[in-house]
Amino acid sequence: MPSLARRLLRRLALTLVAVWGAATLAFAGMRLVPGDPARVIAGGVQANATPEVLDAIRDQYGLREPVLVQYGVFAGRLLRGDLGGSYQLNQPVSGVILDQLGPTVALAAGAAALGFTLAVAVALVTAGRPHGRAVSRALEFGSISTPNFWIGVLLLAVFSFRLHWFPVIGDGGLRSLVLPSVALALPIAGVLAQVTREGLERALDQPFAVTARARGATENRIRLRHALRHAALPVLTLSGWALGELLAGAVVVETVFARQGLGHVVVAAVRGRDFPVVTGVVVLSALTFSLINIVLDLLYRLVDPRMRPEPA
Amino acid sequence: MSLSDDTATRAGERPVRRRRRLRSRRPVAVAAAVVAVAVVAAVLVASARGGDDRPARQAGAGPIAGGSLTYAVAGTQVSLDPAVAATAVTGLIDRNVFDSLVAQTGPATFGPWLATGWKVSNGGRTYTFTLRQGVTFHDGTPFTAQAVKATLDHVVDPATKSAYAASLIAPYKEARVVNDHVVEVTLARPFTPFLQALSVPYLGIQSPAALAKPVADYRPVGTGPFSFVSWEKDKRVTLRKNARYASPPAGASHQGAPYLDDLVFEFVSEDATRYGALTSGQAQGIAGVPPVNAAKLKSPADFSFSAQETPGLNYNLYLNQTRGPLRDVRVRRALSASINVDQLVKNIYFGLFPVARNPLSRTTAAYDASAESAFASYDPAEARRLLDEAGWTTGENGYRVKDGKTLTLVWPYWAEGNKEQRDVLAQGIQAQAKLVGIKIERPTVDTGAFVGTYLIGGAYDLVDVSFARPTPDVLRFAFASGNTYAKAGGNVALVKSPQIDHWVEEAAETSDPATAERDYSSVQQEVLRQAYVVPLYTPVQLTAFSAKVRGIAFDAQTYPVFYGAWLGG
Repeated sequence: MPSLARRLLRRLALTLVAVWGAATLAFAGMRLVPGDPARVIAGGVQANATPEVLDAIRDQYGLREPVLVQYGVFAGRLLRGDLGGSYQLNQPVSGVILDQLGPTVALAAGAAALGFTLAVAVALVTAGRPHGRAVSRALEFGSISTPNFWIGVLLLAVFSFRLHWFPVIGDGGLRSLVLPSVALALPIAGVLAQVTREGLERALDQPFAVTARARGATENRIRLRHALRHAALPVLTLSGWALGELLAGAVVVETVFARQGLGHVVVAAVRGRDFPVVTGVVVLSALTFSLINIVLDLLYRLVDPRMRPEPA
Repeated sequence: MSLSDDTATRAGERPVRRRRRLRSRRPVAVAAAVVAVAVVAAVLVASARGGDDRPARQAGAGPIAGGSLTYAVAGTQVSLDPAVAATAVTGLIDRNVFDSLVAQTGPATFGPWLATGWKVSNGGRTYTFTLRQGVTFHDGTPFTAQAVKATLDHVVDPATKSAYAASLIAPYKEARVVNDHVVEVTLARPFTPFLQALSVPYLGIQSPAALAKPVADYRPVGTGPFSFVSWEKDKRVTLRKNARYASPPAGASHQGAPYLDDLVFEFVSEDATRYGALTSGQAQGIAGVPPVNAAKLKSPADFSFSAQETPGLNYNLYLNQTRGPLRDVRVRRALSASINVDQLVKNIYFGLFPVARNPLSRTTAAYDASAESAFASYDPAEARRLLDEAGWTTGENGYRVKDGKTLTLVWPYWAEGNKEQRDVLAQGIQAQAKLVGIKIERPTVDTGAFVGTYLIGGAYDLVDVSFARPTPDVLRFAFASGNTYAKAGGNVALVKSPQIDHWVEEAAETSDPATAERDYSSVQQEVLRQAYVVPLYTPVQLTAFSAKVRGIAFDAQTYPVFYGAWLGG
């Protein structure tokens, strides 16, 4: 399939452009925000850094150079895959990110698995059934409109502080992952369930469903084997959005549940204007987004034979 | 028609309808339910409660050694090096790892710690410390004069990028090792707050061997009662008992090793989570109890609650006296008199935070209660009279006008620095100032703009800030003309008074305590009379411990002291 290979290559090239663009925007953003980076590096607003210390910092980080020169240095380093060193943490950025990547990936993966499973299960059970649909729509709207933050606080109050099932402090291992994953998954599950159900209902109304039914297929078979595949397309499209939600929600959920993770790193870095760390996370996110979209693109073909190229 | 009537009618009229079951053979639903039940069951089994690691009960009422204490704190830190960091939580943690040369034993008194004695000579410029013998750092390095010199040199080295510690010993010139157990520190000028500075954890004495390592490999190594084990970023810091501990400060609860085996600091920034962690027993103590929850913890059966007033500068509103209408002392006093601080602070903080009537908190040495008489306290009639006298007449909308300009004051709102509901207090102040015709604008600004445009650029009329440090020398930090924010100081009212400069400098240099006290007293009176500052409240450290935790004390900086802490049954 040479066309597929060419397409993949093109997508990968575009990915590089996207990453470069994101990094440049991050660079511009951090420079456009008013304020003196040297003072930030010296410890922020409350710090009592003397002018001598500030000067030493400006020299060390090349902050006196013109912005374009700084950008050149930055882009050159990025090309070599060097994200630089954190202003605040005295560590290479790659180390900072790698340290904190694990907990965030675990949280996001847990929430994604839970969210998708929940959404598909609910949609399968309630599609085309007015009563079930009414109840689940109410719950879905509830979960969509409730902020992660509040869901998290409620879950903690009930399952951690009252029932003592899930600790929020200490090394709970998998147990400590349950509540944060649920808090992160619910809003996503709400949206995905609605989309999946709509897709299912559309599919169930189509002639092929009637045909299948007429041939004696059971309701389960019709839903699982025939309709779900049709419903899967819009869900795939929304997965990109869901990933963004997961990353954004992780920031909040990590705070409420006092978890380690990239969310914390990003918040601290943006607040502290820790420019290399912010750029590092932006590059990583852009890369993840692009790669996931490529995977989704391939999945479309897998799910929907109509999108496969005609054999010549 | 009421809802129940409607329902009844409909129920009565409902036609007999056979439910269609064309597509509802239910196995999908059943399967989903089975899966759901299985998941819940698995989770429940997995989450059977863990064991409790409290030490075995022993006979007798004395302290019991052993066990682990988890203390949950808000906030996080960027470095564990006390010489680098400015965050309070770093001081709290490092206090247990590092001993200081001297210990602050009262508002203005100091006792021996790593230094058994000291002598001040050369007109207050030279401090000669005699050091404790037989003390070793956690890494085995012996504690000597060399360590003191290495620590102080490390603090002032620009490469350290000290955010706080270096500013405490600004006059430091050099340290000279006289012999292994005597060190001589020379200052550029007489500086009485030097001993106080040396007593804080940010100037804790560090192992020279640890300081010699590259910055990226830094580990805090001191002589303190607990040694550093690990720092999981944004999660926790774990410390372990230093069994060989032999250097407790003057006035310590006991001698020898601490009782606790492990001391764990958990970073839990969300108030509700931290509070829940305490009440559910997941943490044995928490810092920053939310004021809303404090009342529930005050009944002492299960918890001990403590409120420590922080010494130093109160949470104050500073009036930029170099700009616009506030150049006129009458307008400054009018603003001060328009605010009913008592009422606002009592209502917002449930009476937990003391109302301030002095820029200094009452737990600070040289605090002068009588300075209050110079303070333009709440008196709206007087405020109106002063504004009239200053030529500000009431215009439309009720705001005061002079030469066609409305009396408008800019008070930047730096949201990231907001805490303790200070934004709510500010809204109250805004509303009350409005009643006498003063308009307060609160533009929301980010950190960069707050520092660049406002604190350094000077485009503000009002700025609010608190600054905790147990010495009256904070008055120099806040009001000396050379200590503007751009010069690493806290003079945000931009006071330029030769008189005040003279007082705070004389007080910092004199060896006569009576002179210092008189000077500090004069400063408190003068800044209130000139209304450079409107005191609001004294920040209070609200901490709570489980009733199991015994022997907690608080030091001069209001940090809990874990050296004497133990876990009861």
